[in-house]
Amino acid sequence: MTRDPRAPRSLPPGLSRLLLASPLLLAACEGRQSVLVDGGADARILNDLFVVMLIGAVVLWFGMNGLFYWATRRSPAPHSQKLANWLVILGGIAFPTVTLGALLVYGLTIMPDLRATGDGPVIRVTGEQWWWRVEYERDDGSTVTTANEIRLPAGVRSTFLLDSKKVIHSFWVPSLGGKMDMFPGRVNEMTLGPERPGIYRGQCAEFCGESHAWMAFEAEVMEPDAFAAWLDAEAADAAAPQGEAARRGAALFLAQGCGACHAVRGTPAVGRVGPISPMSLAPFARRRAAGHLYGGFRQVGRQPRRVEARRRDARL
Amino acid sequence: MSSNHHDRPSHSRQDEHEFGEERESLWRIAFAPTIWAFHFAISYAAVSVYCFKFEPVASMGVLRAGLIAMTLAMLAAIAWIGWRAYLRWDVRGTGEFSNPEGSAEDRHQFLGHAGFLLAVVSFIGVVYDTLPLIVLGTCR
Ligand SMILES: [Cu+2]
Repeated sequence: MTRDPRAPRSLPPGLSRLLLASPLLLAACEGRQSVLVDGGADARILNDLFVVMLIGAVVLWFGMNGLFYWATRRSPAPHSQKLANWLVILGGIAFPTVTLGALLVYGLTIMPDLRATGDGPVIRVTGEQWWWRVEYERDDGSTVTTANEIRLPAGVRSTFLLDSKKVIHSFWVPSLGGKMDMFPGRVNEMTLGPERPGIYRGQCAEFCGESHAWMAFEAEVMEPDAFAAWLDAEAADAAAPQGEAARRGAALFLAQGCGACHAVRGTPAVGRVGPISPMSLAPFARRRAAGHLYGGFRQVGRQPRRVEARRRDARL
Repeated sequence: MSSNHHDRPSHSRQDEHEFGEERESLWRIAFAPTIWAFHFAISYAAVSVYCFKFEPVASMGVLRAGLIAMTLAMLAAIAWIGWRAYLRWDVRGTGEFSNPEGSAEDRHQFLGHAGFLLAVVSFIGVVYDTLPLIVLGTCR
């Protein structure tokens, strides 16, 4: 049985599927949660490291497969003992020693930049189940507490003091730098120096329970002036609810006992168990990571559907 | 029976002698990795104690110089151990890379071979251990 020579030659199904999928994979690289789209020097350094490793791996892959091809197809006869010895000594000892040594030196030289001391704000981030408590230390010694949203001034290195309440989490904003684990009872320090204002996304990078995937946050890099103004506003009492729906929402919030866990600055709601909303009730709904709220409620046995229904009726 | 009696003592004396020699050799192949282990432990302990307690009050210079001097001494020791092992292996004299037979001489050369390779690994390990001290030279 011969093949019709006129029949178009089609790609094997596996390969065509891979080719179809690759633009999708590449599209993911453009997101605001990507190491490859950097918002500062830290991510750029890590990006360079990645590219160096990738190119090295590709070269090695072709080198090894080339040798394999040569040894099995081009020159399959047994080689002399001398050649085999030198292959082991050069390829098995000298080459890896020099390559790993060079990579080690390269890795060591970039470490001081990544671990430079901060000259910007000090921000204490605590991993809760399953949200992020964020406390900004102000110059006058007071702190401003928010949740699930971290704002940073561009052009300076902010210091993060990372802690955790109960289980291990990991703090990671891929576009701004590397990640660091958060352990209960131990404060880990890391610094990030974002340069490009914008909204990036952070994600807990250590599985920490059922709502781990919900444990994301927004990292907004702002011009230093805008950051200072925002922090001042955030320190003030919550703005009074505006409009009928918002007033109803505020009344419901207080009447339903939400304040036992959540705090709204300047109101009787002073709980510290759940995420805090310092400005007004509005950020609960406005917050870009609002989905996280339901994850948290589900964990403490609340009914997300009831919350949803209420949110429809009254603007929380 | 009588010949058996006659042979045995001499055989076992010879065995004992050779075995005693190899027992020493067995110890000797562990020397280089032991130096490496000590180098690792001492370097890490010294630097972490310094960074935790003395960084604000004293510069790292003395500690750094001391650790580098210790490293050079340990590298020299490993090199010497490796050279002795290389001679015992005697690959140049015999031309044999591997020594698979169970004879006393083969055991002797095999232990030399193993000791030599372990010395090479230990040498590389000690150099890698020291690179942070040379390249970084800071607690950060
Ligand atoms: Cu987590």
